[in-house]
Amino acid sequence: MKQAPYLALAAMAGGGFAAVDLAPEIKVSRVDKAGLNAHETHASSSLLGQFRTSVSSYLWLRTDLYLHNGVQMRMLSKQELASGKRGVGGSESGREDALHNDDIIVSVVPSPDRDFRGWMGDIERAGAAWKDMKGHTHNDPEDALPLFRLMTWVDPAFTPGWLTGATVMGRRRTDEGYQQALSFLKEGLDQNPTSIPILAELGRFYIGKKRNFAKGLIYLERAYTAPFDPEHLSEDDFEGIQSAYRWGALAYRELGRPEEQKRTAATGLRILGEDPVLFRLLGEPPYVLTPEAQDEWMRNQIEKHVGADEHGHFEGDGHDHH
Amino acid sequence: MKFRVWWALARGVILESIRRKDLWVVAILGFLILLSAGALGVFGIDGLQVFAKDLAVSVLGLFSTIVAILTSTRLVPDEVRNRTLYPLLARPISRLDFLLGKLLGAVLVTWISFFMLLALTSLALMFFRVTFEPIMVQYVLAKMMGLTLLCTVGLALSSFMTPPAAATMGFVLAFGTGMITRAFTMAYETVDPGTQMVFKFVNGLLPQVGLFDFGSRVANLGWSPVPGWVMLALLGYLVVYGGGMLALSWMKFRKQAV
Repeated sequence: MKQAPYLALAAMAGGGFAAVDLAPEIKVSRVDKAGLNAHETHASSSLLGQFRTSVSSYLWLRTDLYLHNGVQMRMLSKQELASGKRGVGGSESGREDALHNDDIIVSVVPSPDRDFRGWMGDIERAGAAWKDMKGHTHNDPEDALPLFRLMTWVDPAFTPGWLTGATVMGRRRTDEGYQQALSFLKEGLDQNPTSIPILAELGRFYIGKKRNFAKGLIYLERAYTAPFDPEHLSEDDFEGIQSAYRWGALAYRELGRPEEQKRTAATGLRILGEDPVLFRLLGEPPYVLTPEAQDEWMRNQIEKHVGADEHGHFEGDGHDHH
Repeated sequence: MKFRVWWALARGVILESIRRKDLWVVAILGFLILLSAGALGVFGIDGLQVFAKDLAVSVLGLFSTIVAILTSTRLVPDEVRNRTLYPLLARPISRLDFLLGKLLGAVLVTWISFFMLLALTSLALMFFRVTFEPIMVQYVLAKMMGLTLLCTVGLALSSFMTPPAAATMGFVLAFGTGMITRAFTMAYETVDPGTQMVFKFVNGLLPQVGLFDFGSRVANLGWSPVPGWVMLALLGYLVVYGGGMLALSWMKFRKQAV
């Protein structure tokens, strides 16, 4: 037992090592978003649950690292953003299926002009995986797919693993990719039958990618009736609800069912408060976007450039012009 | 130069480490790594190569650091407590030679552990046909230098503290320096010039063990080898900082009543 203190210290060191590795990359909002506290709010608040959460969050952070080929990135702090500092940006900025927002991240090891350490900083940049990440590109996210499978196997309640894994599969923009993504999401739904974000994502995939409105609406209807606590809505659930009502109202619009479109938008607005997309879907479209307005605009343009007769008829209207 | 004296003392440290079964613990840990690698194989290794390499260098870094700290922080206090120091100092061995010999022993034990783990992790990775790039050679050399630096820090700490306190402090420095440095670089631009000076001072004072770790470059694909000047700079840092730690230990130990 003489070695007991040393073993205890070794265990502490292990924790410290993990902290060193994880800390620079942990983003509080992302942790909340990721639902990493899922096991703490359930009866399965056990050692195994904690282990699963730790492993899945570790793997989650590693996927981000591999996406940048080992270059550690971090989110800008609120102070940095307030002081006008901007992220490095990337080739995927503004993409709908971008895996993260490159405009608010920078490399953990700073660039030479922002590093006070002098030669020590130079050594770190030369010895660690570091490069100037301004406008950077990413490794193929498909390389990380086995990690998404691994993290969802270890922790099936880890919703971001299912969602991001499906997004990566869907990025191929092929039927095969969409099918794989849908199967993956359905697997996630089997493990989390009342997960609003997964139901909403399934709806989004069917409506937005497969144009199968009827099937998409089945999942969205399930998302509407899934239980949630409005007082303690996680960011993940909030985004899920938002997506579900937006895509639901859009699907009804596409199907030509305006009453259901407005009812869905109104319900969504009641839950979410302000939402510009749902607000637009609730009312009549602005006059400028109606077919009548577009027809009027076109006539004005033709009149301006081609000219009309005294009766307001254009060439090609089917009237004789003398 | 009293190489024979140093070697005799170092040999004693290695034998003591075997007797205390430290190296056995390392071997068992290596076996566990192999088992974990087997578990990874359940998922099929395709696409997990980078993760497997990343895990391997993390495990190597973690356990070799633990061995370095635990071995180096008990060198001198154990000799005092077991009263084996007296017969040693009764011989024509200066206190500096004693420290150098003990340090050499701690470094060798740490290196042996590191190579044992390296061999076992490499075996596990080879089983899945995961290969390392040439930069691995530089990784090993830099890691050996980093572990030597840690041993000098452990030795210095144990000269001023009890072994458990020295070990705790050693772990804090080994694993915490990276975090502190990150915090400094993040906050540097937002603090006043006086605080910036403090940041620079503390950063210079802390053992920058992380500089010796090329793990992120080794684990990921397509990174070029590290330039030669980096290896030389690291060697220079080891000589200066490690020499400073050794000097601190000697200054304390030479006046210590035993």
